[in-house]
Amino acid sequence: MDLTLTSDQAAVAAALDQLAAHFETKPTDFHGFALASQGLENALAEGQFFDVALVPELGPLSAALAVERLSRLPCTVEISLSMLVRPLLFADLPRPFALVEYKRPGRFVANARTILVTDGEAMGIVQPTPESLEPVDSIYAYPMGRLKERVTVEPLSAARAASTRKWLRIALAAEISGLLHAAIATTVDHLNDRKQFGRPLATFQSIRHRLAESAVLAGGVRWLALKAAWTADDADAALAALHAQQSATQIVYDVHQMLGAMGMTLEHSLHLWTYRLKALLSELGGRAGQACAVAQYCFNSD
Amino acid sequence: MSVAYRRRKIDPMHFDWDEQQLAFRSTVQAFLSFHLPPDWEALAHGPGSHAQSAFSKRFCAQLAHAGLLVPHWPQRWGGRDADAWTAFILAEEMWAAGEPRGGQYMNVNWIGPTLMRFGTDAQKARYIPPMAHGETIWCQGFSEPQAGSDLAALRTRARAEGSNYYIDGQKVWTSYAGHADTCFLLARTAPGRNGISIFLVPMDSPGITVRQIPSLIGEGDIHEVFLDDVEVPDSARLGDEGQAWDIVRAVLALERVGIPRFALASRMLSRAVAELKATGRFCTGVVDQAAQARTACEAARLYSFQIVDQRQRGITTGAEASAARFATITAERRVTEFVIEHVPAALAGGDPLLRAHHQRAIVAGIASGAAEIQLNMIASDLLGLAREPR
Repeated sequence: MDLTLTSDQAAVAAALDQLAAHFETKPTDFHGFALASQGLENALAEGQFFDVALVPELGPLSAALAVERLSRLPCTVEISLSMLVRPLLFADLPRPFALVEYKRPGRFVANARTILVTDGEAMGIVQPTPESLEPVDSIYAYPMGRLKERVTVEPLSAARAASTRKWLRIALAAEISGLLHAAIATTVDHLNDRKQFGRPLATFQSIRHRLAESAVLAGGVRWLALKAAWTADDADAALAALHAQQSATQIVYDVHQMLGAMGMTLEHSLHLWTYRLKALLSELGGRAGQACAVAQYCFNSD
Repeated sequence: MSVAYRRRKIDPMHFDWDEQQLAFRSTVQAFLSFHLPPDWEALAHGPGSHAQSAFSKRFCAQLAHAGLLVPHWPQRWGGRDADAWTAFILAEEMWAAGEPRGGQYMNVNWIGPTLMRFGTDAQKARYIPPMAHGETIWCQGFSEPQAGSDLAALRTRARAEGSNYYIDGQKVWTSYAGHADTCFLLARTAPGRNGISIFLVPMDSPGITVRQIPSLIGEGDIHEVFLDDVEVPDSARLGDEGQAWDIVRAVLALERVGIPRFALASRMLSRAVAELKATGRFCTGVVDQAAQARTACEAARLYSFQIVDQRQRGITTGAEASAARFATITAERRVTEFVIEHVPAALAGGDPLLRAHHQRAIVAGIASGAAEIQLNMIASDLLGLAREPR
């Protein structure tokens, strides 16, 4: 057991921090929902960050740390599937990746070059043509899209589907972790700045306790995601995804409540994290789906 | 594609137990399996009861003999300088078994280490060996009728006269006081926060009266302790006059994550689920609640890993310990609520360890600093929220 980054891992983290510094601020004239950044996409590709998991000295844990860090940015690109699913299971397939569940719209689908499709327990791979995809108007803070026509699905074996689902859960938890931390951080700034009744909102105990509880939840999500990335264990993946979606459900509501009307505006950045979180709440079966997985992997011997 | 490259030659951040740690856990489990009597789970009820206190002295002596009571203490004091992970594994296995060490877990976790750090040579020589041999029970004289979370408000007074102190006052909620040999007592020697001192007070001192408080926690757990002109020598003071606040802060950092409550909670959850499965009642809805409870337990465990890792590296733990504590409180709550809802017989003649767990779990958010105090520390020190006006 050793929870301190190695020099290799720390170097990657520092490089990511340096890269991320150019994308930390929402353009003041952006008042939309999905702030997709081609600049970030290019920088990550140029630095070969999408393949971090394949570097022997780094591995999936470093990839999870990278996903977590990059998800804190207000802008978005397809990172979590590319960093945590593709390298481990489909390294020969092109990115961006996307997930389509039950033929619903999914994030990054309109530009995806590889799509994982699920329908119940079945899972398959689609390598779509651009013509088979279309964007969907959405208020989620991801570019959303869908398959507009029938496509050829290459089914995955049950074992490969289970492994894919496991890494999807880990990717989901890592991404939610970053989004939660960013949403909480911007809420802290607001609570320290905004004064009512002559003092900062941050000094009111009802608010302090509520946000502290959120922070504990978010910290738990991070540790569970990192552990799952390290162990690659089905139970750990299920626990991480469940805690991530459960925590996000509560925290999204709470941080919007704490930002009041300010959080309702598209001028503030909060929705760039919370409306990504809202998109992630339903993935992989939502909390009920993760709970079934926890039951399957954690209570089987009970 | 496999993920074989995860096992690397270098020593990266990782979540694996090494062979030595796995072997130590097996040793502790084997010891428990051999030494816990068949009726242990019924005995586990009432951690300060006559029966469990007597048992804990026999059991801790056996642990000491096997080198498993204080392995993380220095060799000089009966340990073998084992690391913080060893102490964690030991604590986890003991708590998961229902804590057969009884109140002596406090000696192992924080009273012994505190005396090693702040005690005089005479205090160490007098008090540490009996702890290392598993022969003595201590109690913690912190809370008072008017001083709980606001510890600085305590009123118990130690009056210096010649080479003695005379202590007057009252302590309350004092665990294990009915069987304790010595009290780690806070008393005021001057006004203000910096006027509090620590005294190591033999519980058979004239002027001490102990009254058990019947409680939801179980027999013999909490007490009132009345101190009426109790005479103790100068040499009973731990540290300097007025040093209590600094020492207590160091002590509470150890104590906040000292009990791996999630270990027993997780075991009891599994037991409850097994019972539900056996009777065909582990169905939709119930599954969701069980999964959430298990998740809370695992999150709490990982938070504790963070603290142990810091301790291992000699890093002073800050508000992360409060976060770990709050995560543990949440885990206890999820599991007890699950058991109450789905295995209600646990509190009515059913599984005695489920009942004992419930009784211990209800104090999770109260003992060792209320949950609300932890949340305040998280808000200020982890999140950076502006502090409340005082």
